[in-house]
Amino acid sequence: MAIETEARWVPIAVSCDILDGTVIPARLPTGPIAVWRSASGSLYANGDRCPHRGMRLSQGFVRGETLSCIYHGWRFGADGACQKIPAHPKVSPPKTINCGPLPVTEANGVVWGAATSPVDAPDQFVGHDALRSLVVAASTDAIASACEGEWVGEAIAVTLGGQNTILLLNPYGPAEVLVIALVPRGLTAPDLVRVSTALEALRRSAEAVGEAA
Amino acid sequence: MTPDSVRNAWYPVGLLSDLNPDGKESLLLGETITIFGSDMGEPRVECGGRGLPVVPRFGHLWTSLGAPDKDLFTIPEADHPDRTLVDVGVVRVKCSPLRAVENFLDIAHFPFVHTDILGAESHPEVSDYQVKIRDDVDEVWATKVEFYQPQAAKSAGGGIMTEYMYRVPTPTCSILYKTCPPRPGEWDVIALFVQPLTEDLCDVWPWMALFDDESAMTDLIHFQQLIFLQDRSILESQIPKRLPLDPAMETPTRADLTSVAYRRWLKRQNYTYGAQLVAG
Repeated sequence: MAIETEARWVPIAVSCDILDGTVIPARLPTGPIAVWRSASGSLYANGDRCPHRGMRLSQGFVRGETLSCIYHGWRFGADGACQKIPAHPKVSPPKTINCGPLPVTEANGVVWGAATSPVDAPDQFVGHDALRSLVVAASTDAIASACEGEWVGEAIAVTLGGQNTILLLNPYGPAEVLVIALVPRGLTAPDLVRVSTALEALRRSAEAVGEAA
Repeated sequence: MTPDSVRNAWYPVGLLSDLNPDGKESLLLGETITIFGSDMGEPRVECGGRGLPVVPRFGHLWTSLGAPDKDLFTIPEADHPDRTLVDVGVVRVKCSPLRAVENFLDIAHFPFVHTDILGAESHPEVSDYQVKIRDDVDEVWATKVEFYQPQAAKSAGGGIMTEYMYRVPTPTCSILYKTCPPRPGEWDVIALFVQPLTEDLCDVWPWMALFDDESAMTDLIHFQQLIFLQDRSILESQIPKRLPLDPAMETPTRADLTSVAYRRWLKRQNYTYGAQLVAG
């Protein structure tokens, strides 16, 4: 059922990778999205396409509580409605012009997005925080088999760099996956570096598994 | 099947100053062509062993895969002996050839894409202008286009209200006539000649015929390349890649009337190469 697929939280980014006043590209199973944090720190997501001329909004710019398209400066608010068309400063944009706002939320330092509003909150990983993300050019099965981890729902639990690590997966395609690693809260910097290095090694071996298959 | 309107159109395939007697391969509408220069000044183009029609004009070699039903357009204004003719070169862009032309017809992006050169964020307004499809010549024309420009040309000393005219004589080429800062009353001519390699890959050959005695040729080329590279970052990011001819797919405003006429003109002549006909 399409509804079940769309009303589901998908891990899309690490919270600290989206600074106040910036926008980044991200992906849901339904397509590319733009995720942005306003000047006051509120997080928003919408379709990654300006309704005017199809430009990617993730290449736009954030000012105050709005996101603007880089092509013609069309300005969109938190509700996705177009607030301003700079070429026609005296015209109020019709309410029908909208860039399609999407549900987005944060937990454990992870940004979660969905195509339609899920009923429940995203999975909680008590005592864990996001460390980093990386894109692996392999299937989710290749990643699981390369790290010999255990499936926990849609995530993988694995020991990396000596730490209990949780890998959240967002498959971009059959052989491309966004991986977000969560580690126990309060680790020292050298511990974090070890996990990060182990994650890089995991990427190489998962990609090698994929190539051998 | 590629429609006749697509096969019979004229396309630029290289600079006359850069032809090779031994032949150079290129692509036109997805087909491999070979372009031969000649010491005798008679360039030719072949496709699958067949000779194609050629016309050397505006510093470029032009050809067609079909049987063109009209002559390659002319730009009479460019013949003035005082003009500096500038072969800007080639920029390969991963976009529909039609998206490249449409972007060239657009002024509303100047403040955001060519910030503080062709436009300023403090002056984003596009006032009303005139657009028509001229049936006598079968060309799209936009006139009385006015826009504030901080640095309209290499030769401009400061911000000015620039007047523009746009002309689309063939689906993948557009000519812009704009206020010439050193010669009030004359127009600078800036053209965009687009070679469709495939439906979503093109070689863009900008060309200019300017009144500018001051600037070095290198600086004129650099200025135009800077502008076009700013455009390329946009052109390679638009979704969908092909130009939507279905009006419901995108949202034009009054500032986009040239693009609206251009899309309508393409549809009318069934020029579908690089276009998307239905929303998808």
